[in-house]
Amino acid sequence: MTDLAPVSPFDASPSAVGRIARRAPIDWTGIAFLVGLAAVILLPLVVTAVWAFAEVWRFPAIVPQRMGLGYWQETLSRTDVWQALWLSLRITTTVTVISAAICFPAAYAFARLDFPGRNMLFLAFLSVQAFPKFGLIIATATIFLTLNLIGTFWGVVLIQLVGTLLYMIWIPVSAFQGVDRRLEEAARDVGASPMRVFWSITLPQAAPTLFAAILITFVNTFYETDAAWLIGLPNVRTMPMVMIAFINNALEVQYGAVLFVFLWVPSFLLMLAARRVMGADAFAKGLGG
Amino acid sequence: MIAALRSGMMGGRLSGLLLVALPVALLIWLVLWPVLQAMVGTVYFPGTGFSTASYAYFFTDDYSLRNLWLTLWVTALTSVLRVTVAMPIALYLRFRTGSVAALVQALALFPMFVPSVLVAYAFIRVLGPNGIVDTVLVALHLPKLMSPYLTPAGPIIGLVWDGLPLTLLLLLSGLGRVSIASVDAARDLGAGSWTLFTRIILPRIQSSIIVTLAFNVLGLFSAFTLPFLLGPASPEMMGPYMQRTFSDNADPLNATTQAVITFAFCAAFGLIYVRAIAKGRKGPA
Amino acid sequence: MNRREFLMAGAAAGLVASTRFAAAATRLDLYTASDANISDFFNNVVKPAFEAANPGLELNVVIARPAAALDAVVQRAFAALSTKSDPQLDIIEQYEPMLPNGGIEAGLWTDFQKAGLANYGAVNKLAIQTAYGLPYRGSQVLLAYDSTKLPRDKAPKTFADLAAWIKANPGQFIYNRPDKGGSGGNFINRVVHEVSGRDPLKFKVDNYTQASADEVLAKAWAVLNDLAPSLYEKGAYTSGNSASLQLLAQGAVTMIPAWSDQVLQAIAKGVLPETTGLVQLTDLALCGGFSQAVVPTNAAHRDAALKFADFMLSQEMQTAVIEKLGGFPGVDWSNLPKALHDKYADVIPSSIPTFPSGEWTKAVQDGWYRNVAPNISRT
Repeated sequence: MTDLAPVSPFDASPSAVGRIARRAPIDWTGIAFLVGLAAVILLPLVVTAVWAFAEVWRFPAIVPQRMGLGYWQETLSRTDVWQALWLSLRITTTVTVISAAICFPAAYAFARLDFPGRNMLFLAFLSVQAFPKFGLIIATATIFLTLNLIGTFWGVVLIQLVGTLLYMIWIPVSAFQGVDRRLEEAARDVGASPMRVFWSITLPQAAPTLFAAILITFVNTFYETDAAWLIGLPNVRTMPMVMIAFINNALEVQYGAVLFVFLWVPSFLLMLAARRVMGADAFAKGLGG
Repeated sequence: MIAALRSGMMGGRLSGLLLVALPVALLIWLVLWPVLQAMVGTVYFPGTGFSTASYAYFFTDDYSLRNLWLTLWVTALTSVLRVTVAMPIALYLRFRTGSVAALVQALALFPMFVPSVLVAYAFIRVLGPNGIVDTVLVALHLPKLMSPYLTPAGPIIGLVWDGLPLTLLLLLSGLGRVSIASVDAARDLGAGSWTLFTRIILPRIQSSIIVTLAFNVLGLFSAFTLPFLLGPASPEMMGPYMQRTFSDNADPLNATTQAVITFAFCAAFGLIYVRAIAKGRKGPA
Repeated sequence: MNRREFLMAGAAAGLVASTRFAAAATRLDLYTASDANISDFFNNVVKPAFEAANPGLELNVVIARPAAALDAVVQRAFAALSTKSDPQLDIIEQYEPMLPNGGIEAGLWTDFQKAGLANYGAVNKLAIQTAYGLPYRGSQVLLAYDSTKLPRDKAPKTFADLAAWIKANPGQFIYNRPDKGGSGGNFINRVVHEVSGRDPLKFKVDNYTQASADEVLAKAWAVLNDLAPSLYEKGAYTSGNSASLQLLAQGAVTMIPAWSDQVLQAIAKGVLPETTGLVQLTDLALCGGFSQAVVPTNAAHRDAALKFADFMLSQEMQTAVIEKLGGFPGVDWSNLPKALHDKYADVIPSSIPTFPSGEWTKAVQDGWYRNVAPNISRT
């Protein structure tokens, strides 16, 4: 990496210092965004959170008429909630890992290599999302029935894996395609091997986007239910399946609110962690070595 | 050097195909083949031959056309709103560091973790009739809100809220390729913010914007939960309309026809992205 | 522990293991997409009783909410029919046997008339719509209202009263989209009955014709379009039974049509206040409906599923439907103890009008979306 440093046009350290010095005062723009987002994003969530503790809350009271932890006890004492959470995490992790392993190389090929049928194949991935699921139920069920995968862990993994293909290929392609080729060529000129160039130049530049794709895939897969219902029932019950059974058409919003608040804390921590990989710093870190 | 490039290209053909083999195989087996069967099923009927009657019906049926039209303009409006809201936040996040920025990002991405059903419930409890906003207004002796619940504005508000994180993430990841140094350099040369945005930033994140729009169109054309729970009964967006035709009317032929038409619109947007990528590949490195 | 005790313990453990194995071998998968009160009823009342009466059988209640999940499972069973594989579905507590399209023709659902159920003869003849669905419980739609805004003695008793009240109180009434919940659907069906001489027997599963439907329904759409401007938001329609109940609970409307069991449960749970009033029309009641259980012919445990279906029609379970669920029995009252009938005579009428499923319902639902929902008269 040291031998590459001189060719980097992004040697940002002096100006970064300058920028830090320039905005030593309070980040007013940020605070404005924060206030705006708090009103728009947090308010509905806080209302939901309050519902999780409300036992009776009718208009026009500003706070619930009766509060309690009854719904919390009722929800979290159920073993199926915990089993479902654990199962969901296992399925989602498996799907995301496999998906990254097979899709990222493919995305690189779509972005950078030339091969017959490339554009057609690339466009074809669109059908994963663009064709409504109900039209494919019978065909999909037939395939899974003959493979004896109905109601199994791997059956759900396979069907959800297919659902991730579009995001895991289309998003990374834009990343690999946007990598600055001059850097790669420069590195090759000074004798770096193709693998070396890939690992130290291409990948770090694409990393924020790859991470975004992984994050989107993880969350989407976690909350995916259509395919999980079709293949998973009666044996595989994931967290959102339990959640939606609780809240869909239910008179009491509380069960859903409890489960939601219950998933809240880990999600928020994950989001804060995401900033380290996705944020402004990540790019500089990838190159600054 | 030239010879090396040539062999690289030849290798590229084979290794390219090898690299994409697994996902493409999965795609053909579990998606493309079933989709193709479904599509053929709308025009070819064993025993009676070819017929495009169901398509003719769709394009002459006022009710279906009204639903398609509604879907198109809700999609256009929602996509534009999402990008307009997400772009300033993305720009801010790209060029700022610190704990305030981290909080802004965490907040803006949060709706991603909220399943649509819950978004709808939260929406009804907040903006719905006699929801929390009304409660506060009444307590302050102000007139109640014109609730967007069950009006066309309902799903749009819900969809913008729900789709903000994806749009933001895609824009942000695109902005990751715009170097702070180049922006600073341009600014030192006296470029204004607008020039900076249009001349330096936009060209670099073009493919991200196109992919953002493509995903928006895809998601909105098949959106089901929010339009169904928050919108008016009629006209319907294509998602609920197809679902109703399929299960309640027990009419798979017309439902699949609607699906193919929806698919065609999505594919048109997908094609724009594919073109952009192909152009980027050939363009100056 | 001496040797003899050890052997006994070992034998007992072996016995436990073998019964568990036997139970696992005949696990009946019962699916339900109904609301929580129904799945609780099956888990807490039916399951223990059934397993006690049938050693070696285990009832597994699978909750497939929302209905789309159940639709997917049924499509899966349909696919399994052609591949001759196990659909992993033995019985559905409630499903429309006319679905999926072509299912009956392909032989997907079991014909209960030929299934040899001992109790089938007891089933209420009026409740049977098709031989492929087994009506084992019923419920009725009535009007629920906020008695703080509408005094109980002023509540409408006839359809004419109701229509007059809706017009006199604009924005205070809402019903849901007909295909998304029976409370709105049966309100519309009641309008169809109103414009056709209040005779539910005019509509049968097998007497649908395009011409008669066009004539009757055109009149019904006229009545509904006439009411539309006086509804909530000048003609908005909620997305389901629960959404209507929530608007009532929020105080956003004064009156809604609602399922009797659901609204009673909502009052009991505190979702609706004690001041909620309930009223049924007296000139002709709002329709009710019977839940039809279905058994796929390719179910892995079809015989056990039929045994279960028969069990649901037993006097014990039918009594439980009335007492524990607050529903109507699926069997004729003459097959139940007279004391029971007398006890619930005030609450439960002996018969309820119904509307035929299949073509008629499809015509009403799709026609409503095309003719009433667009609210053309809205200015």
